[in-house]
Amino acid sequence: MQNQNKLFFLVLLVFSVNVSALTLSGTVTTTEGEPVFEAVITAVGTVKNKPVLSKAPRKMDQRHREFVSHILAIHVGESVVFPNSDNIQHHIYSFSPTNSFEIQLYKDIVPKPIVFDKSGVVVLGCNIHDWMVGYVYVTDAPYFTQTDAKGAWSLNLPADDYTLTLWYPHLDSTNNVQVQQIKLNTENPASIEQKVTLKTTARTGKPPAEDSQNPLY
Amino acid sequence: MKKEIQLVGLISAMLFANTLRADDFHNIQLHGEADFRYLHTDSDSQNNTDFSKFWEGGANRDLFRVNEAALTLQGRINWSWTGSITAKYGYDAKNPVDISEAVLLFKPVSTSPWRVNARLGSFFAPISLENTGIAWTSPYTLTSSAINSWVGEELKTFGGEATVAYHFENGDHADFFGAGFGNNDTAGTLLAFRGWRLHDYEATILDGFKLPNQAHIQSIFTKQALTTQPFVEVDGRAGYYTGFNLERPDGLKFRALYYDNMANPTIVENGQYGWHTRFGSAGLKIVLPFELTFIEQSMLGNTQMGGLVGKHAAVDVNFWAHSFLLSKKIIDGHRFSVRYDIFGTHKNDELVQNPNAENSSAWTVNYNWMLLKHHQLNFEVTTTTSNVTMRSLQNINPTQNETLWQMGYRVFF
Repeated sequence: MQNQNKLFFLVLLVFSVNVSALTLSGTVTTTEGEPVFEAVITAVGTVKNKPVLSKAPRKMDQRHREFVSHILAIHVGESVVFPNSDNIQHHIYSFSPTNSFEIQLYKDIVPKPIVFDKSGVVVLGCNIHDWMVGYVYVTDAPYFTQTDAKGAWSLNLPADDYTLTLWYPHLDSTNNVQVQQIKLNTENPASIEQKVTLKTTARTGKPPAEDSQNPLY
Repeated sequence: MKKEIQLVGLISAMLFANTLRADDFHNIQLHGEADFRYLHTDSDSQNNTDFSKFWEGGANRDLFRVNEAALTLQGRINWSWTGSITAKYGYDAKNPVDISEAVLLFKPVSTSPWRVNARLGSFFAPISLENTGIAWTSPYTLTSSAINSWVGEELKTFGGEATVAYHFENGDHADFFGAGFGNNDTAGTLLAFRGWRLHDYEATILDGFKLPNQAHIQSIFTKQALTTQPFVEVDGRAGYYTGFNLERPDGLKFRALYYDNMANPTIVENGQYGWHTRFGSAGLKIVLPFELTFIEQSMLGNTQMGGLVGKHAAVDVNFWAHSFLLSKKIIDGHRFSVRYDIFGTHKNDELVQNPNAENSSAWTVNYNWMLLKHHQLNFEVTTTTSNVTMRSLQNINPTQNETLWQMGYRVFF
C-alpha cells in the first residue's frame, strides 16, 4: 500500500512537472545556416506572470577592447555591473532615450551597478574606443532567454498561448524583431527553427582589423 | 619657423605637465614604426630636380635603405583630452629628424545624440581615407595615391578644427567640421612647378623641397627661393576648410571638404610666395562582402601665384585627381590591393616660359602580409604613364613611362 502511494505520488509529480513547465526550444540561424549568437527570445503569455528578478547585478565586461557580452538581456528593474578586465581605461556611455548614462572605468575598479528601470534597447559605446558597441535589451516580458554559440535556446514555460519575439540588433526587419504566436500545451511541445536575414553591414563591436598595425588603438 | 617651434613646444609641455598631474592616467604610450625598403626603378628621376613621377631613379636604380622611422608619444590627459606628438626620420629629408604631427584632441563624452570634438595643433586635414595607420601609413599600399602623396607633401593644418556630430542609435553619424589655420600659404607650389608625384613621404613641420632645376623658376620669379617650404605663413591671413563626413561604422564613409588657404598671391617673404590654393575633395569608402574594401578619392582645385599677367595670375593652374582602390583581405594577415590613379593639371596662365600642364595615370598593385601583429612584408609595383609639358624644357619626350618595384619590411610597435 505504501509502495502504491509512492508510485501515485511519483506519477503526480511527473504529471505536475509536465503541466507547469513545458520546454520550448529552438534555434536561430541565418538563411545561410550560420548560427546567430546572443539573440534575445522573449515570451509573453495570456496569463500575466510577474518575472522573477535577479537580485545580483548582471555583468557586462570590457575585455580586449570589446563589450563581453555584446548583447545582454535583462528584466526591467534589474541592474548591470560594468567591470573592466582590460589594463586600460574605458569610458562607456549610452544616449538611448530610455537609459542615458556615462561611467568612467578605471582598470581594477568595479563601479556601482546601473539599474535599468525602463524597457527598451540601450545601445552602449566607449568614448575612448569608437568601434566598441554593446546592447542591453531591457524587457518587461516575464520570460526571456538568449541563444548560445550554436544559435540554440530553450525556455521552461507553463502551458499557454504565447507571443514569441526574437530580437537581434542586426536583424534585417522593422525594429530588428521577428514575432510569432505559439500555442504551448502537452500535446503541442514545440521546437522552433527560426531562419533570419541579417543586415549586410553590421557593427561587430570588434577592433577594426585593418588597424591591427596601429597600436594606438 | 619660430612659430612652429613654439607651437610644438607648447603642446609637448602641456601634454607632459598634465600627464604628470593626472595620477589615474599612467598611460603615456610610446609607439613607432620603422620601414626598410628595397627599391628598383627604371625612372630617370633626379630627385626633385625634374618632372618624374617618383623620387627614386636616375643613377640610383637599385636602393636599399631605411626609408622611414617614426615615434609617436601619445598620452591621455584626462577623460576628455588626449595629446600626441610624432617625430620621424625620413630618408633624404631636409631635417634628419623632425616633428610631423603634434595635436591635442578634445573629445568629451556625450549622453545625447549630439557630440562636439576639437583638434588643436598641427595635423592632417581629413582628406585621406587610406592613411589610417600609425605615422600616417596605409594598411593597403606603400605608395600613396597622387592625392594623398600631395596632401603628405604640402598640406598640414596649423590651427584648430571643431566638429559637431549627430549620432544615430544604430551607430551611423553625420559630422560637420570646420577649421582655421595658418602656415600653409605655399601649398600648390609643387603641383604647379613640378606636377603630381607618387610616394609615401609626408613632410615634417620644418621641411623644404627643392624645386625642379629645369623649370628655370628663378629666371622668371627672381624672388622665389629654389627650395619651397610647405609650412610657412606669408601674408598673416588665416585659411580655412570646412566639410562633412557621413559614416556607417564598419560599412560606409563619405567625406567632402572644401579648402581655401586664402593666401595673397602677390606677397613674397623670404623667397616664399603666397599661393592662393583652393580645392574641393571628396572620398568614399565602402566595405563590401567577401572581405573587399573599395576606396575612391577625388580632388579638384586651382592655385594662383604672382601678380596679373594679362587676365590671369602669373601662375594659374587647375589641378585634378581621382583614385580608385580595391583591397581584399585574403586570409588572416594577408591583403591584396590594386589602385588606379588618374591625375593632371591644366594651365590657365599666359606665361609661356612655364608650360605646366599634365595628364597622367598610374596603377599600383600591393600584396602585404602582417606577421605576429607587428611585422609587415610588402611587395609592390607602381607603374605610371605621364604626359608633362614641362618636360619640353628638358628636351625629352613629354610622355614617359616609369615603373617602381618595392619590397618593404615595416615593423610597428
